[in-house]
Amino acid sequence: MKSTPPLLLLIIFLSTLSLRSIGGPGHSTREETLTYLQSTHLSDTSIYWPNARGHLFLENLRENVRSPLSMYQGSNTNFCGYAAFSYLPLHDDPLQYVRFMLALYTEGHATWNNIKFSPSPEVMLAAGTLRFKGILDIHPADQMWFLVLADHFRSYLNLFHRKFYTGSEDTFWAACNLGKFNRMITRLMGYKTRTVGSDLIRPGIKDVYTYLENAIQTGTTFLYVNNTYLHVKNHDKSRFSFPTHYIVLTDIQRIGDIFQIIYWDYGGRTLRQVTPEFMKKIIFGVVCCIKEEAHEK
Amino acid sequence: MRNKQAHIPLLIVIALYACSCKTLNISRYYHHHQSTLDSIEQMYTVANKEKPFSIEFTDRRFDRVSLELATDSLTYIYEFWVGEDRMQDTLRKYGFSTRTVNNLITNMRSVDCTWINNLDYYTDERKHSLTYVTLWPRAFNFPFVKKKYYILTYFQQPQYFDGEGNLLVGRRLRRIRKINAEAFRRINDKVCYTLSDRFR
Repeated sequence: MKSTPPLLLLIIFLSTLSLRSIGGPGHSTREETLTYLQSTHLSDTSIYWPNARGHLFLENLRENVRSPLSMYQGSNTNFCGYAAFSYLPLHDDPLQYVRFMLALYTEGHATWNNIKFSPSPEVMLAAGTLRFKGILDIHPADQMWFLVLADHFRSYLNLFHRKFYTGSEDTFWAACNLGKFNRMITRLMGYKTRTVGSDLIRPGIKDVYTYLENAIQTGTTFLYVNNTYLHVKNHDKSRFSFPTHYIVLTDIQRIGDIFQIIYWDYGGRTLRQVTPEFMKKIIFGVVCCIKEEAHEK
Repeated sequence: MRNKQAHIPLLIVIALYACSCKTLNISRYYHHHQSTLDSIEQMYTVANKEKPFSIEFTDRRFDRVSLELATDSLTYIYEFWVGEDRMQDTLRKYGFSTRTVNNLITNMRSVDCTWINNLDYYTDERKHSLTYVTLWPRAFNFPFVKKKYYILTYFQQPQYFDGEGNLLVGRRLRRIRKINAEAFRRINDKVCYTLSDRFR
């Protein structure tokens, strides 16, 4: 009889744990997050983040919550994977994102879905100092967010760039392969993902249009693409054939022989018309997030 | 016979030098085409303030043009043949001045300008804009040679430079300013250039 209360507590504790691992994030709204932010006050300096100014940090968080599509990875950085991942918390659980960021700012460490983030001293010094990256220059919260994610989640691509040095944001230190990208989604957001593709070989989807159309209907869909074709930067005929960039595919339509796609990257949504061959050529991976409601069906 | 063979390495060196991408004097090129280049920049800056857009030539003959037309909700990217009716319809549909864009395209073609865009940058939390004009002079088109572009940046205010003409962050911060990971050099107080293997 005496052992009943501890046993009951143990059962409740275990059930809480299992619910957490299945249930993923709590859902919060933009409005409640903005209300929460309104009542938040920060000092303009932090002992943990000496170069991140409090007023810019808070304004950056407000801006991200108000218009999540405007999050900008910075020009010529390798933060595209983290920027694309941000699409999920900013749309599905902005309050969790804001609480996490505020905890990081005020305490120097924070926990998200039982994962503890303790950023390295180099990253703490760097946040707020990245320059010549467009609007990322005055977005210390985004700098912190990208740096912390890159610092915490590591993969084989980062093997030879273990420590952050000035300029590492443009190097393999910040690179994000498909496995790491999936890991961030499943561990932080708790979503199941349906993924095809790899870091080197194209997925070989027979009917790209139908596949992508179904994926968009199922959940948030990310494409891992070869950016030298999507965002052309030179006129060279020969281009390397591996993926370098993440985009969020939000719509696809067939117009005659071409596809009209709408995708998010670099702080905004873009519409363009491409051929099926072009789509096949650029896609190396498709990650479709399956939320609880979808996989309960 | 030996004398004839001795000429071969010399010829190779001359051929390689001819293929080198550094033969163009960009300062001279700029001054030679200054009126056209400056008018392109002026026209673009005014039009871009009204409705943001960028223009890119996607081929060596400057016949295919890609337009990025920004609206409040979406950026539209379309590719056309120069002068195509479809292009005029698209510009009208999204409220862009066909006259301005067509003039820009004509002028850009005349000076081998492959890309024009606006870039924002920040100093002391204040936003500034510059116009990014990329030149791809036809003299650069050698097979097997990596494509090279001259990029001109037009600033709104006079900039700070070191003794060697390198663009600096500011008067007090005498670090070299990098834009899109490139360091720039002076042509005049407001116009700088760099040589790059990327046009943007």
